[in-house]
Amino acid sequence: MNERKEPVLAGITTDNAVLSGLMVISPVIICGDTIKNAQALIWAFSIITFLSVVISSFVPKGLPYTIKVISYALISSTIYVPVRAAADVFYPEAIQRIGIYFPLLAVNSLIVFQTEARFFRMGRIRMTASLFFYILGFDAVMLITSLVRELLAYGTINSRIADVDMLISGLKEPFGGFIMLGLMCGLYRKLRSVMRRSESSAEKGDMNVSDK
Amino acid sequence: MYLINDIIAFLAANLILSQALGTSSLFIAANSRKKLVGTAFCILLFTTFGTSCAYIIDSTLPSSAAEFRLLLYTAAVSVFYVIMLTLLYFARPQNHEKLRRYIHLSAFNCAVMGTLFTMSAKAENDSSLLDFGEYVRFGAEAGLGFITAALILTAAYRRLNSSRVPKSFRGGPAMLIYIGIISMAVWSLK
Repeated sequence: MNERKEPVLAGITTDNAVLSGLMVISPVIICGDTIKNAQALIWAFSIITFLSVVISSFVPKGLPYTIKVISYALISSTIYVPVRAAADVFYPEAIQRIGIYFPLLAVNSLIVFQTEARFFRMGRIRMTASLFFYILGFDAVMLITSLVRELLAYGTINSRIADVDMLISGLKEPFGGFIMLGLMCGLYRKLRSVMRRSESSAEKGDMNVSDK
Repeated sequence: MYLINDIIAFLAANLILSQALGTSSLFIAANSRKKLVGTAFCILLFTTFGTSCAYIIDSTLPSSAAEFRLLLYTAAVSVFYVIMLTLLYFARPQNHEKLRRYIHLSAFNCAVMGTLFTMSAKAENDSSLLDFGEYVRFGAEAGLGFITAALILTAAYRRLNSSRVPKSFRGGPAMLIYIGIISMAVWSLK
C-alpha cells in the first residue's frame, strides 16, 4: 500500500522539486523575500506548470526527444500568455517586482525536462495527482522561505509589522536567498533521513513481533 | 587598478552570482571538468545567438504584444537547438551521442532565457542599448559569466562533496551556501 502511495506524494515527502531536485530555485532565491511576491509566483507557477504538463502529456510519445522538449517549451510559453494577462490584473505590483522571473517560470525544468523522467511514465490520473503534490511542494517551500525572509529581513509578515528585535537585512539580497535555501535543503534532507530511519526501525520492530 | 575595477564589474554583473540565473545547470555541469567545458561552451553559444535573435524580436515586437515575447524567444532558441544538434550530427557523427547531452542541458534553462529577458529589460529602460552589438556583447558576457561561476564552483566541488561535510549538507546544500558566500563577497565589492 505504501509503495503505491509514495511516488504520488513524493513531491512533498521525499523528492521536493526545490529542496531535493534543486529545480526552479532562481525565483525562490531572488523573489522569495516577501509573501506578496510569493503569492504571485505560487499562483503563476501552479497554473502554468499544471496546465503545461497536463497538455504536454498529449504530445505523442513516439516523437524524437528534441521535438518533444521543444513542444513542451512552446506549450508552456503559450499558456504563459493568458496567465501573464491575468496576473497584470490581479497582481500588478508584484509582477513589476518579480520582473524577468515571471516568464522564466514557464520554461522551468520541471515542465521542460522532468516531465519525461517523472510524470509521463505514469498513467494520466496518477500523473495528475503526482504533479499536484510536486506543485504543492514548490508552493510550500516558496511560502516558508518568503515568510522567514520577510520576517527576518523587513520585520513584517505580509506587509504587517511584526515584533522582531533583530533584523538581518542581508536576507533580502540574493546571497541571503542562496544561504537560506542551502540551509533549508540541508534541514529537509536531515528530516527525510530521520523519517526514513524511524520508518525502517518501526518495520524492524513489526517484523520482530511477528517472528515471536 | 583599472583591471581590478574591470574584474569587479565583471563579477558584479555575473548573472549567477547577482541574479541566480542558471544555478541548477551550474550544479549539474560542475561535477566534472569535461561536462563543465561542454555545457559552458554550449551556454555561451546559446546566450550569444539568443541575444541576437532577441534583438530582432525586441526591435519589431510592439509593446502591446509584450506577453508574446517568451513564446518568440522560445521559438528562436528552439530553432538554434535544432541547428546545433544537426550541425553536431554531421560534423561529429562518432561523438554525436556523447556530445548532444550538453546541447540538451543548455537549450532551455534560466541562464539562457534569463539572459534574453535581462537584456530586453535593460533595453526597455535605456533605449541606447537597443542595438545589435550591445545585445550580442551582453549575450557573450553572460556566457563568460557562466564559465567564471562554474570555475569558482569547480574549485570547491570536491570539498563540498567530501565526507567531511555533514551528510545532510553534502553536495547541493553546501554548494548553495558556498555560492551564497561568494555572492555576498561580490555584492560587498559593488
